[in-house]
Amino acid sequence: MADYKAVKIDKGPGGWGGPLTIKPTSDRPYIYSVTGGGIHPLAARIAELTGGEAFDGFSSSKPFDQIAVAVIDCGGTARIGVYPMKKVPTVDIHATSPAGPLAMFITEDLLVTGVKLDNINPA
Amino acid sequence: MTVLYSSTVTEIGELVPTFVAEGMLVFFGEGAPEELKTFCIIHRVEHKEGQVKPGDTVSIDGHSFEVLAVGSVANDNLYNLGHLNLKADGNKEADLPGDVCIAQVELPEITVGTKLEITRSN
Repeated sequence: MADYKAVKIDKGPGGWGGPLTIKPTSDRPYIYSVTGGGIHPLAARIAELTGGEAFDGFSSSKPFDQIAVAVIDCGGTARIGVYPMKKVPTVDIHATSPAGPLAMFITEDLLVTGVKLDNINPA
Repeated sequence: MTVLYSSTVTEIGELVPTFVAEGMLVFFGEGAPEELKTFCIIHRVEHKEGQVKPGDTVSIDGHSFEVLAVGSVANDNLYNLGHLNLKADGNKEADLPGDVCIAQVELPEITVGTKLEITRSN
């Protein structure tokens, strides 16, 4: 059994939402990076601190209910709402605010944006 | 004329009409995770070069629209992920960093096989 630890993720400069406390479990182990160019450094950092497993969402998919947190580089329309809609905590590296057709699903306890490496700390 | 980007639509998610109703087309490349496909138009990118900027032309099956604004991360999305948020909002400055804005027009119907092209007149 992996020994998982919690992290607190605060919004970055100009960001929105949060803070989120993320602690993977054996049922929800994945730190799901849905970003260009492989595992994003933020996802790698969260995985390192929590003991979760970083996973590249563009290589293949995992079911929503196995994702501890999704890390996105969303410009504000689609990905920003997809994971919150499924109640998956979501971290956007860009300082966006809820918008688009999915904005109604986005709440401060499900999305934090503008996040930098410094904003991720052991809880 | 320089072709900056060209692709062919391969799949259309069931919730795409929700986005069309709000004047936006959301494209993703074929590598997109399954959960995004519900919302997106999936396309096969055939050609990409250079950076899209205002004044370029987006063509959808021959319907041409002038690009009015390009958000700060739109080119990264386009080139890394095949991801494009095309918004018919008439904005001359992008509301969101991922937006590519065109005039407030009725968007053409997208079907499997639809050709997307972004070009620049020289």
